[in-house]
Amino acid sequence: MNRTVSFLLALLMMTLFALPGCSNNPYPPGQTAQKILYRALGDDPRTIDPSVSYTLDEAAIVDLIYPCYFRYHYLKRDPFVLELNLGAEQPKREPYLYTATENGKTVQKRGEMWTFRIKRGIRFQDDPCFPNGKGREVTAADILYSFRRMADPTVPCPVLSFFEDKILGFADYTAHNRERVKQKLGADYQYPVEGLQLDPKDPYTFRILLNQPYPQLRYLMTMHFTTPQAHEAVERYGKELARYAVGCGPFVLSEYKTKSRIVLKRNPNFHGEFYPTEGMPGDAEAGLLKDAGKPLPLVDAIQYNILKEGVTAWNLFLQGYQDGAGVSQNNFQQVMSRAGQLSEEMRRKGVKLHRDVSANIVYFAFNMNDPVVGGYTPEKRKLRQAISLAIDSQPYIDLFNQGMGKPAEWIIPPGLFGYDPSYKNPYRQFNLQKAKQLLAEAGYPNGIDPKTGDRFTLFFDNTAVDAAGRQFVGLVVKQIEALGIHVESRAWRGNVWQDKVDKGQFQFVRYGWYADYPDPENFVFLLYGPNKRPGPNSSGYDNPEYNKRFEQMRSMDDGPERLAIIKKMRDISVEDCPWIYINHDESLFLTQPWLQNVKPHPIAMDSGKYQSVDGAMRARLQAEWNRPNYWPAVALAAFLFLGSIPAAGVVRQRTHRSARRGPGGGR
Amino acid sequence: MLRYIVRRLLYAIPILIGVSLLTFFLFYMSASPEQIARRNLSAKNPTPKQIHEWLAQHGYDKPLSEQFRKHITELFQLKFGNSDATNQPIWERIRTGAGPSFMIASLIFVAGQITYICVALGVAYFRGTYVDYWGTFLCVLLMSIVYIVYIIGGQYLLGKVLKYFPLAGFRGGAEAWKFVMLPMVIGVISGLGGAVRLYRTFILDEINQDYVRTARAKGVSEQAVLFRHVLKNASIPILTSTVQAIPGLFLGSLLLESFFGIPGLGSLLVDAINSQDFAVVRAMVFLGTLVTILGYILTDISYALVDPRVRLE
Repeated sequence: MNRTVSFLLALLMMTLFALPGCSNNPYPPGQTAQKILYRALGDDPRTIDPSVSYTLDEAAIVDLIYPCYFRYHYLKRDPFVLELNLGAEQPKREPYLYTATENGKTVQKRGEMWTFRIKRGIRFQDDPCFPNGKGREVTAADILYSFRRMADPTVPCPVLSFFEDKILGFADYTAHNRERVKQKLGADYQYPVEGLQLDPKDPYTFRILLNQPYPQLRYLMTMHFTTPQAHEAVERYGKELARYAVGCGPFVLSEYKTKSRIVLKRNPNFHGEFYPTEGMPGDAEAGLLKDAGKPLPLVDAIQYNILKEGVTAWNLFLQGYQDGAGVSQNNFQQVMSRAGQLSEEMRRKGVKLHRDVSANIVYFAFNMNDPVVGGYTPEKRKLRQAISLAIDSQPYIDLFNQGMGKPAEWIIPPGLFGYDPSYKNPYRQFNLQKAKQLLAEAGYPNGIDPKTGDRFTLFFDNTAVDAAGRQFVGLVVKQIEALGIHVESRAWRGNVWQDKVDKGQFQFVRYGWYADYPDPENFVFLLYGPNKRPGPNSSGYDNPEYNKRFEQMRSMDDGPERLAIIKKMRDISVEDCPWIYINHDESLFLTQPWLQNVKPHPIAMDSGKYQSVDGAMRARLQAEWNRPNYWPAVALAAFLFLGSIPAAGVVRQRTHRSARRGPGGGR
Repeated sequence: MLRYIVRRLLYAIPILIGVSLLTFFLFYMSASPEQIARRNLSAKNPTPKQIHEWLAQHGYDKPLSEQFRKHITELFQLKFGNSDATNQPIWERIRTGAGPSFMIASLIFVAGQITYICVALGVAYFRGTYVDYWGTFLCVLLMSIVYIVYIIGGQYLLGKVLKYFPLAGFRGGAEAWKFVMLPMVIGVISGLGGAVRLYRTFILDEINQDYVRTARAKGVSEQAVLFRHVLKNASIPILTSTVQAIPGLFLGSLLLESFFGIPGLGSLLVDAINSQDFAVVRAMVFLGTLVTILGYILTDISYALVDPRVRLE
């Protein structure tokens, strides 16, 4: 019996000795005092291949490894400012005449030639794919190589359509390679493309020839699809580039552990980029110019922790082990006070709140080809206008986005050229009375179809399968049914729904669009007739007046003339009412007190090179916030020990009990 | 015995074919290849050309019969190919994920079995006393709590309030213990209620047997009766209820791994279903079937090994 007691005692002692070794710090000792950013990812990126990756989460990694000709100014907004990144000078745009065959006749057409020159002395990161493992110098050929790679049919590049129909000879090149891949030959990157030219005299200069003026090309030269890529790396790693990287940016990929973490480290070959010295009014006061002029990047490493569960990520943030966290429905109560300010708990911790405005639009689309809600007659217009007037954006923002977001009046989001803060869409001011009147004029007084005597029915196709989705649908139904109309909700699985939308088998759907680049063309093209389904024009809206103006404005530079055309397009589309504009998203983001230079950018995702961290402060506060509490463990151990003493007594008693005395332990 | 095992393995073949056939048709019934392609292409609006290319590259443009033939032959050669969604070789993913999954699951398994048997023996020893009553009450209480509550509660108590262990994360080597402790404790406690109730019944079944009374009559001490005689015989049903879980230890636990950020295989199948990654789904379903069949064979073998009354013919 003494053995049992001493065993228990030993166990107790072991627990007590092990306790001081316990800590909830998930990082190696001392690491958090270093200049390293800790970010969270909800899941592994699908790919970090710069020619394939397309999501914002991926871009936050990819854009730090693969820089482009241009970048967005980190601090300036409204309008967004492009700066030279790899580029040595602003590209030269010149008219360019080319011959094309139209209806069997050869015609001269006016296109555009862009001449780009990149900086000298930029080097790829060191990697075994290069001779001696030393990164070689980046030349213009490496950028054109990326263009050619986009059209490799084995590389599913999501933005190929931006280039395919505009670069001279590019369609030929893609067709040639499609044919080759069909015959199981690899893509041929040497096949000549008239529109992609190197300068025979200068290895840093390249030209892009377009079949039409296309000012948006400068924005495309900020997207990682146009980063210089080393053919050595592509040839050696191929599809592995989805989880491996060879770039020339401020960071290099140093560790990729699936479902666990991704670590970027400072690229020793990178130099010559500095923190901006000027910003917007208020930036200096907000401390955003403290590091002005310092060489980038400001941290040595960025660790992306893959945290699938929001609860886990949020608790790690509260403990100080994550530098930032989003605000969602789950933690909103804890983060915000009733007055819409940061809560007392957060303020005590020194947590900072950032408002992130997205360049996007959320909307409902009518199917313009539908015999009931589509069409361009005055009655059909009035029907759509009536429904538009019955829908109030504010409840959607309040109930489903915690009051964050801006009601949309038209398609262009704030911050982009053409956005007019004073504009009020006449059919987006909630007015049930006017809506009912328009509905009557459309031929459905009180929502009744006089021909049949039945209630008019609107079919709403959606993907609401969860509780929040059904609540959303409930609100839509309630708002529209106030008109006397009946709304029939049809919920589908995501891909079935997408299929129906692409095939035009719907009446009314909800949709959204995020900017690829901050040019109004990237929004107004959503209503351009020739872009109709399965293109991005989901409603199939096709008004020649609108189309004509779109073709004019898309190749114009920003200015009063372009603005006038955009306004005209607005008036045309608002009157036709193919969409009901709901809102432009906003989201809240929290950062720890030790994280500096945080200013969310709606489009650029390269903030990792500008942000800096006070490691000493982080380590101090982490230690302060996470002092282990030992007494419950000691108390539990003591309780178990004390509790076992009477048990030991029972055992002893039973062992030494005389057989005659009781009925025995057999029951 | 060997003949028996071979026969059981041969029985497995039609089962595997059947399961693969079912997976194949269920998947095609739920999603068309075009939908799979769209889901796995990253563009906002993939063009029909891009979708067609994707289908051709992944072999989804071939006739169904040919696809199925390829599907079955590849699976039986254990050639799983690449994931449709990420293009990562599936074996590579399984290889990197099986380690952490096995580490956590096997620790929970071993620590759990030891704890459950000890506690069950203790409860059985004190049967009919306040220890037994309270034990029963606690076990039923533990059984009534949903698994996810253990996880969130454990994270909250041990990670957030007491601050003994990291909430999430994983590192190999010497630092692994730090990340393994919390999921292990939670894994063991969450299974405690059910297992102790079950094992207690197994033990009590034995304790009333004639040989126990004989042993006591001969003056064998209560501990010796319990550990030497009762435990040995009670271990037969315990074994059968646990051995079949062993092969499954490699496949990981969905909830535990996603909450603790453990890079295992637990979420692989669910993620693949959500992203319509048929290549991974068919591989994981096949492996899962294989592992389950192996589990049953192992159970039979262990039964024959520990119980001399059982012969495998």
